[in-house]
Amino acid sequence: MSDIVFSGVRKAFGSAIALHGLDLTIRSGEFVSLLGPSGCGKTTTLRMLAGLEFPTQGTISIGSRVVNDVPPGKRDIAMVFQSYALYPHMSVAENIAYPLKKRGMPRAERETRVKAAAETLQLGALLQRKPRQLSGGQQQRVALGRALVRDPVAFLLDEPLSNLDAKLRAHMRAELIELHRSLGKTFVYVTHDQLEAMTMSDRIAVMNEGVLQQFATPKEVYEAPANTFVATFIGSPSMNMFEGALADGVFSHPALRVPVTPEASGHGSRLLLGVRPEDMTLGAGPLNGTIRVVEPSGHETIVLLDFAGTTVTVRAPPDMPLGIGSVLACDVKSSRLHLFDAVSGLRIAARFGAALPPA
Amino acid sequence: MATNPLDRRYALLGAVLIAPTILIFSAVIIYPLVSAIYLSLFTIFTPTLRGQWVGLGNYAELMASNEFWRSLANTFIWTVFTLTLQIVLGIAVALMLHQNMVFRSLARSLILFPYFVSTVVAVLVWRWLFNDLYGILNYLALISGLLQRPLDWLGSMPNAMISIVLVGAWKYFPFVVIAVLARLQSIPDQLYEAAKMDGAGPIARFFDVTLPQLKEVLVVVILLRAIWDFKEFDLIYLLTGGGPVISTQTLPLMVYKEAFGLNDMGRASAIAVSMMLVMLVFMVLYLRSAGRSEREGAR
Repeated sequence: MSDIVFSGVRKAFGSAIALHGLDLTIRSGEFVSLLGPSGCGKTTTLRMLAGLEFPTQGTISIGSRVVNDVPPGKRDIAMVFQSYALYPHMSVAENIAYPLKKRGMPRAERETRVKAAAETLQLGALLQRKPRQLSGGQQQRVALGRALVRDPVAFLLDEPLSNLDAKLRAHMRAELIELHRSLGKTFVYVTHDQLEAMTMSDRIAVMNEGVLQQFATPKEVYEAPANTFVATFIGSPSMNMFEGALADGVFSHPALRVPVTPEASGHGSRLLLGVRPEDMTLGAGPLNGTIRVVEPSGHETIVLLDFAGTTVTVRAPPDMPLGIGSVLACDVKSSRLHLFDAVSGLRIAARFGAALPPA
Repeated sequence: MATNPLDRRYALLGAVLIAPTILIFSAVIIYPLVSAIYLSLFTIFTPTLRGQWVGLGNYAELMASNEFWRSLANTFIWTVFTLTLQIVLGIAVALMLHQNMVFRSLARSLILFPYFVSTVVAVLVWRWLFNDLYGILNYLALISGLLQRPLDWLGSMPNAMISIVLVGAWKYFPFVVIAVLARLQSIPDQLYEAAKMDGAGPIARFFDVTLPQLKEVLVVVILLRAIWDFKEFDLIYLLTGGGPVISTQTLPLMVYKEAFGLNDMGRASAIAVSMMLVMLVFMVLYLRSAGRSEREGAR
């Protein structure tokens, strides 16, 4: 087995700390996304795994081997760069064959492998072209071909879809999922696009400011975010937060009250109640919000409501009559609420009752 | 055609704006060129600029003249060797200056120094360095034991040719450095990183990533420098004067000698025209390469 293990990995660039001690185990064959806003340390993490940067502290191992001092070419991993980084003077076939050539593979075997890779990626007709004669999506495929021809233990992908247009991106996403399934290899995928991470990954490592926030399946990251950063970063529009206090088993905010039974104690008195835009029902209920903005998008309408000074985003059906300034009655789905400590931001496991009208 | 009156007036304005350039170009390029070709058909006494029509006689004499062929050979030897050194040295120094190192910007400006110094000044300094009695080169070689006797750097062969080749390389390699360095800075880092991932070592990265990216700029630099080295006059004239005898005499020096030393403007013009024919080959190559890169840029 060739699990990838980061243990206590720190990285500092001078006085700037890019990564504060990362512990992460990526299982062999898994598709893992490193997700976070720019500057969160996800690319640094990937580059250290590739061997293009070196950890200030801690160890990185692939399988049973610590690779801290192993040069990139000898780590048995392949990388697809954001800009594809194809060699412009070489043909598609030469580009794909290059890593094999550098490893001293005989020409005949090289050609067989290039042909096989080209077939997998439908590049057969383009083998003699130069990279500049290819479209963005084709260049992307050549970059993938150059990676998979080596048959490495793991594939590292650094925002590979960000230079493609929206339609092609959706298409390549599906192709990557299929490729991962057919190869059965480890994929480590860096992205700032939550949609890519959610749709493709087995597990997502959400990062922020050099700290791993949560490492879990897409479903778990969405349904049980570990803290307010993950809760608001994942999901679009992002989760609404009501700030309030817990007294006599009831969470109170000026615009809503919810009975709450925390499953553990030790949290502070200021709490955040999180509600996703799709977890509010409109038209009836104990809560009243004033409609401020209406954004119709065809299949649904995003509505910004004002709840006693807290702005809340909800999803409404496209045909619902919505007048700006009017008051809309709503309810929350009590089984789908989230509770966080307002100071530490950490999730508090809790059970919720049906919402009550404000006091 | 421009049938609209406004279009016609724009066309006229264009012609008026371009006219001064055309006039100056004709005065300093076309006129001397035509007149050189014309003069090459006469035997002309330089001080009076009078002489006799000889048709292609001057050219026939040149073809039979050993001195002409020797000078042509010298021109090629000088050009090929000094240019090769300029390119190799230029690329090496550019690669060095591209690295992160202390005082990089200072080094980058200092390296251009030879190129900016006037040739006369540079040559005077080099002549002192090369001086067989007082020169520091001989002094250092003697005390370090490299030489048993002082060497005549400029007055004997092949030393004189080696010396002008070296000084030419020293004087003009910064041009190569500037051009190559500018290109190096535009090579994306990700290409080098991809090559590292692909298992390419430093030497493979140079030949597989750097050199192919430098190809275009090198073609232009080599052609331009070839043309300029081919017609180099002042550096060689001041350093050796073409000597010993005619051992380092290149065609430009021979033109000068014929025109102003031997006062035969006709023969000098014939040599100059022959030289131009050789350089025309470089020029055609240059235009074709420039045209090709333009077409590729447009694609």
